[in-house]
Amino acid sequence: MNFHVPVIQYAEVLPILIVLGAAVLGVLVEAFIPRSLRYVFQVVISLGSILLAFVAVVRLHGTSHVAVEGSVVVDGPTLFLQGTLLLLAIGGVLLIAERGLDTGGSAFTAHAATLPGSEAERTALASGIIQTEVFPLTLFALGGMLLFPAAGDLVTMFVALEVLSLPLYLMSGLARRRRLLSQEAALKYFLLGAFSSAFFLYGSALIYGYAGTVSLSGIREAISSNAGNDLVLLMGVALVTVGLLFKVSAVPFHAWTPDVYQGAPTPVTAFMAACTKVAAFGAILRLFYVGLSGLRWDWRPMLSGVAIVTMVLGVIWALTQTDMKRMLAYSSIAHAGFILTGVVAVNKAGLEGSLFYLAAYGFTTIGAFAIVTLVRDSTGEATHLSQWSGLARRSPLVASTFALFLLAYAGIPLTSGFVAKFAVFAAAYSSGSSALVIVGVLSSAIAAFFYIRVIVLMFFAEPKEDGPTVVVPPIMTTAAITLAASVTLVLGVMPSSVLDLIKSAARFTF
Amino acid sequence: MIHQSAIVTADLLGKDPGWLIIVKTLLVFVFLVIMVLLSIWGERRVVARMQMRLGPNRVGPFGLLQGLADGIKLALKEDIVPKAADRIVFILAPIISATTCFMAFAVIPMTGQVSLLGRKTAFQLTDLSVGVLYILSIASVGVYGIVLAGWSSGSTYPLLGALRSSAQVISYEVAMGLSLVAVFLYAGSMSTSDIVASQDKWWYVVVLFPSFVIYTISMVGETNRAPFDLAEAEGELVGGFHTEYSSLKFALFFLAEYVNILTVSALATTLFLGGYRALPGLGFTERWLGGWFTFVWFLAKLLAFLFFFIWLRGTLPRLRYDQFMKFGWKVLIPISLVWTLIVSTLRALSLRGAPTAVIVGFTGGVVLILLVVGSLFEAAKRKEQEALSSVITKPSHFAVPQLPMSISTHRVPSAPSRSMEATDE
Amino acid sequence: MNLYIPILAIGAVGFGFAIFSVLAAALTGPKRYNRARLEAYECGIEPTPQAVGGGHIPIKYFLTAMLFIVFDIEIVFLYPWAVSFDHLGLFGLFEMVIFIATVFVAYAYVWRRGGLEWD
Repeated sequence: MNFHVPVIQYAEVLPILIVLGAAVLGVLVEAFIPRSLRYVFQVVISLGSILLAFVAVVRLHGTSHVAVEGSVVVDGPTLFLQGTLLLLAIGGVLLIAERGLDTGGSAFTAHAATLPGSEAERTALASGIIQTEVFPLTLFALGGMLLFPAAGDLVTMFVALEVLSLPLYLMSGLARRRRLLSQEAALKYFLLGAFSSAFFLYGSALIYGYAGTVSLSGIREAISSNAGNDLVLLMGVALVTVGLLFKVSAVPFHAWTPDVYQGAPTPVTAFMAACTKVAAFGAILRLFYVGLSGLRWDWRPMLSGVAIVTMVLGVIWALTQTDMKRMLAYSSIAHAGFILTGVVAVNKAGLEGSLFYLAAYGFTTIGAFAIVTLVRDSTGEATHLSQWSGLARRSPLVASTFALFLLAYAGIPLTSGFVAKFAVFAAAYSSGSSALVIVGVLSSAIAAFFYIRVIVLMFFAEPKEDGPTVVVPPIMTTAAITLAASVTLVLGVMPSSVLDLIKSAARFTF
Repeated sequence: MIHQSAIVTADLLGKDPGWLIIVKTLLVFVFLVIMVLLSIWGERRVVARMQMRLGPNRVGPFGLLQGLADGIKLALKEDIVPKAADRIVFILAPIISATTCFMAFAVIPMTGQVSLLGRKTAFQLTDLSVGVLYILSIASVGVYGIVLAGWSSGSTYPLLGALRSSAQVISYEVAMGLSLVAVFLYAGSMSTSDIVASQDKWWYVVVLFPSFVIYTISMVGETNRAPFDLAEAEGELVGGFHTEYSSLKFALFFLAEYVNILTVSALATTLFLGGYRALPGLGFTERWLGGWFTFVWFLAKLLAFLFFFIWLRGTLPRLRYDQFMKFGWKVLIPISLVWTLIVSTLRALSLRGAPTAVIVGFTGGVVLILLVVGSLFEAAKRKEQEALSSVITKPSHFAVPQLPMSISTHRVPSAPSRSMEATDE
Repeated sequence: MNLYIPILAIGAVGFGFAIFSVLAAALTGPKRYNRARLEAYECGIEPTPQAVGGGHIPIKYFLTAMLFIVFDIEIVFLYPWAVSFDHLGLFGLFEMVIFIATVFVAYAYVWRRGGLEWD
């Protein structure tokens, strides 16, 4: 038996290794460090490792290499997305680490496994424990997210999908307030996510049956040489697409999004909404642009249809929402549709547009959910829209920042959202899908309506008497909001440096 | 290393014609049933002797037909299906147990190459390249029989007994699986006949003694035998999962338990004691009786293990459930993992021709680390004992019995110390 | 394929024996209907009415099963590595040491968190 020792380019997968190693270290901290010291250790380990990983990504700039025997592809889009993910994760971890907002100590429950309303839960609450297990879970999810857009074959993609999903299922159930809603969110996410992973796996098996290999470059070759039965390939592609579209919450695989975004603790929602979309779209881009590019006349119509339905239904459903987190959830569905518009344009402009939109959307999301954590009343966060009326009277700064984020979502000029939408629609138009562009612009207009409605509510309506207060954000939340707001502004006013970076990076390696 | 001189290989067994397979199957089946009857008799006689009494001696010479008599008695009992039971699963559960326990014996090599009815073959039904893995998986399917029996009985005691039994079985299955990794490392194969063939120089009981110890302990735990049989202890949960069973369905569970004992003993013989090989130095006996004398060697080792099981039952008191779950999870698993690491490193070093100094240094380092870790554990345990004893021996107004009493492993709740403080004015 | 036929054969023999026993039990035993015998057995007293499936089964059984799955998967990874250990070289040894160390981290965490307690 000849065993060929695999060559592992450790330098190129270093960011992933750093984050996963820090996660293992976090588990050890949970096991052995006494409870009072855990928080400090975990925050230092989490933030430190993310920064180190970011430095590693920056140092890899310009690499274009298929690494680890073909399982990991480190090229421009990978590095850009990994860098974006790490910066977004810094914002997410800052929000997760925030302990000054909730009167109970943190946004996370003391003991997640107890039945809400039971004796055990009362004991856990009375003990005043604040658990820190969220941190290693976040790092594990982040590790999976870093691997997801870099996957060079379908099996690695599946492994990364599971590694990123399982901690998120768990983290959705950890909210301190409204435990039943949180547990319901976690269960729904888990069940639907497990199903979609199964679809992904079955689709990979069918594609393997067609191509004889799971590696994306091998699939590409098999398609170009017409290796087998087309029906098997198309069915496989359909199933894999279902699995991936679930992750980005495209219609009709969006059903989990409103419930999970609403039920999960808001820091986790911020992390999840921003980073999962970036990672999952990275995987979609890699799969469709590298593996299935030869099949584009088959999947473009399908994805165009999905994009149209997602955009339209996302904005229509968001119109009737009365809960802030649910409204943001439906708006994120709509944004998934917008990004799909960029994906459908199978050209370099489409790739660049999608990458820019992901970065812009991610930071805006972190900022928006960070501000949602600030509006509190006696029962926790005040997420009903009516409670947000007149917020500008009490805290003009917070309201203006939120207005900035909403305008970025709507795509108003001078914000990152405008540049992003412009890039994506321009790419779609140049590739010939003018229908998509028309629908996109119309949906943006409808979306602008409900975003502006919230702004009007905050600035021009009368505040309620016993309404919520806006807590003065402690330092971590302030840092996260500042990061998000500054990126949103910079990308809107001076996007050229980032656009040039993306232009040089947007080339896939096969 | 896979030894090329294996005298029983899959090629040899793959050439068996259909009628020979059927003959061998029936032979194995009859062998198992006779061994079960023998072990029922043996258990009662040996345990009786250990307890200074006679044991069954009425039915047949020396009471040898006692097992058969038990079987016939059970057949003549009324077959009760409780009202609350789920009929189909209730009947299915003993069938699952019985079927899987026979299937697990298919890959055990009981003789070397012999000639049976004119053909060159071996007294081994088949030889899979993943033989041992097959046995472990069939044993796992057997757990279904236990759980389904408890669930379908429609009453709480069988259910709890079944859950406890199955939790115990799967806990010790982990330890058993881990202990076998070292054997595969040395044999280079999972096939039972290859493992027997690779023990030509040294039996693995000598080379891999810790693996043998761990395997023996976990095999006793896996078969729910004393001293790990709390799940069926009469005082605890009546009969455990087979409380509601009567007549031949109960006999099937009984049969399945003893066949399981035989299977794990046969596996231990194959993996550690050289299977059908003769004791070193007596290798010439393997050719007697046209190769059939190897069966005598196999049987002798199997009976030795059987006696060991019976001896344990007659001698040791039961462990409490939490004690042996703790033992299985907290002691056996780390020891097996550490031992696997040690064995693999030693083998890697010796394969690369490392000088003896390195090997000795490595072993010494490992022993040193183990001693340090062990002493840390001891220190922690001693501190805990001191803390406990200081709580108990505080002077109080209550009549406390004279202590030294051995303190249970449970932590003493802090309430007594508080009340003792209060009365200490 | 023909290596698995004997397994089917002995499976069939065992299955046949079990079916024969179950049928024989129904035939050879007496049938004396007695209402008390059909109740669940609880050492002679009236059985406490309790929903078998609806009553809460302690969660520790589930936890044990989950942990068994995790360690069983680890064993499944260890077996092929052990079988082809001689050919894998030092690379194989190091990778497996890292794997076992990672599983050890999980084991230590579960131990400290009380997942292995049973009382």
